[in-house]
Amino acid sequence: MNSTRKSRTLTKKKPSDHLSPATRGASPCKIDGDSGRKIKLAAIHKALLSDPVDVATLRKLAISHGGLLNDELRRKAWPKLLNVNVFEIPPKPDADVTSHRDYHQVVLDVNRSLRRFPPGMRNDQREVLQEQLINVIVRVLLRNKQLHYYQGYHDICVTFLLVVGQDLAFALIEKLSTHHLRDFMDRTMDSTKHILNYLLPIIGKANPELREFMDRSTVGTVFALAWLITWYGHVLSDFRSVVRLYDFFLACHPLMPVYLAAAIVLHRETEVLSGECEMTYVHSLLSKIPQDLPFENLISRAGDLFVQYPPTALAKEARLQYKQSSTLSKHDEFEQTSLRQRPDTILRQRKKGKLTTSQLKDINKKEHSPVVKVAIWAITASVGAALFAVLNTAAEWM
Amino acid sequence: MEDKEESMKKDDGGEDILSSIESSSKQTRIFKIIVIGDSNVGKTCLTFRFCGGKFPEKTEATIGVDFREKTVDVNGETIKLQLWDTAGQERFRKSMVQHYYRNVHAVVFVYDMTKMNTFEGMPTWIEECERHSLSPDIPRILVGNKCDMNQKISVATSLAQKFADANQMPLFETSAKDDNEVDNVSAIFMTLAHKLKSQKPMMSNDYPVLHKYGSKEMKRAKVISIGREPSSRSAVCSRSTATSDGTSCSC
Repeated sequence: MNSTRKSRTLTKKKPSDHLSPATRGASPCKIDGDSGRKIKLAAIHKALLSDPVDVATLRKLAISHGGLLNDELRRKAWPKLLNVNVFEIPPKPDADVTSHRDYHQVVLDVNRSLRRFPPGMRNDQREVLQEQLINVIVRVLLRNKQLHYYQGYHDICVTFLLVVGQDLAFALIEKLSTHHLRDFMDRTMDSTKHILNYLLPIIGKANPELREFMDRSTVGTVFALAWLITWYGHVLSDFRSVVRLYDFFLACHPLMPVYLAAAIVLHRETEVLSGECEMTYVHSLLSKIPQDLPFENLISRAGDLFVQYPPTALAKEARLQYKQSSTLSKHDEFEQTSLRQRPDTILRQRKKGKLTTSQLKDINKKEHSPVVKVAIWAITASVGAALFAVLNTAAEWM
Repeated sequence: MEDKEESMKKDDGGEDILSSIESSSKQTRIFKIIVIGDSNVGKTCLTFRFCGGKFPEKTEATIGVDFREKTVDVNGETIKLQLWDTAGQERFRKSMVQHYYRNVHAVVFVYDMTKMNTFEGMPTWIEECERHSLSPDIPRILVGNKCDMNQKISVATSLAQKFADANQMPLFETSAKDDNEVDNVSAIFMTLAHKLKSQKPMMSNDYPVLHKYGSKEMKRAKVISIGREPSSRSAVCSRSTATSDGTSCSC
């Protein structure tokens, strides 16, 4: 494709017009057969309709087997996981997107992101979505001057665009960028490097032999860089796997993508240890992520690792100034406010000005059980120390 | 078609390093080459073309560092070229790519012949190398990519030649995309391979013979090099025709 982008007229087609969940292959997930799936669907709906929205349960359901099941539910649940009111999407900035310092780089990267779009999509449809993707990205950047674009950010944004459409994607990505992805969007990549520094300590705690081997090979951690900063969107070709992982990450601590990276490396232990202990070899082996990884198992493993070796316990070794990380320090507040969301039924009425006085009562006054907060980590850990660790971690977050 | 695209994801155009490393004897010399330059100049496509013989239909921005490898025969010796393909965005070069400058044997600077700003970015990349204290003895080459886009060329050969000359590098102009250029792309990397094998200075008429391509005469005069005697500052080089030897210089 030519490096220069031709200007195109934006059509008013919504992505959903040509991207219904069915055409994107929203196949039923394997969760103990149809009845299990039905139960889960009902549970997700129930959590969404609770007032306040039962975010703790929603997180649990997003993490557990199959995640949020389909894109229709994701469109409803992802905003709740990110504490975004879908009826109050931030206004689009007036400034011309082409005026932004990163505009040129965004265009270069989006033009080359053909593989991120559903195979078989018509060129003209894809081009409309690419134009939308550029606009969404640059608008977020225009509204948040402190954020710097990085190559790979577009791989995350395209996933949101394809699932929720451009308007909602804009709101979700903005929230994500000022929280989960914030450290990646500094002017330099120093914070990103710090976050990668967690990887080897996690591997080392779980498998000292493997870590020693990796250290000896001097492989470093750059093989996992694209995994981390694109939330695996850049390295997985199956869109279903990508959105499943996004369910998981949106429900979890911002460092969870690193724990998943550790789970993947640990899963490939035998391959690594049986090969040459040499930087090129190990980098090459690990950076080519197998496309048929057992993601449900790995998600579970990542959760267990998180519970056993929480970030704060690793921070010293990771040489990470935990509290100085924007992403991590803001996470506490993010967690707190997420628990005070009204369901969409209420929000819709509020927007139309049709709420009764009792419905308008301050939701902040509602009591929250500490148990609910602890439930944020929803994976059942298989180890004895797990519960203690969950409680400790939860206490530190809250 | 879809299958092909899918397989691209896994097939990064290089040899299967894992099997090749296993099968290679300890005697095989390995040369590490880092490929750098601004975003979208075609670093991935060039390395893919050389290692995999084809132009990738869908390439994406490189995030961090990718790795490709090719085993070549240089005058009877099997040597392995490891190409480290790097991200072009400045933020990556500043903190992520440093690790990969260690122990490199050669550097390939790439710019896009149709984008003046990518050529103007070259001094920054050269400084970058200096910052990583790469020895001045390490072979460096300058590659202008996308020469197939005749109508859009904005970096004149003479300008690039002057720059290459000033920085004591040979200049090559080529296209990773143009199928007719495939031998040329190979010749560029083979020139480097010969240089690495012999570690002789890259002076005029000093290029080793690329017997591998000896049977096929190259059609285009795109292999350019600088001939400069140490005493002579004359930088007037004529574009030379790549001969059946693969490379030559008629400066």
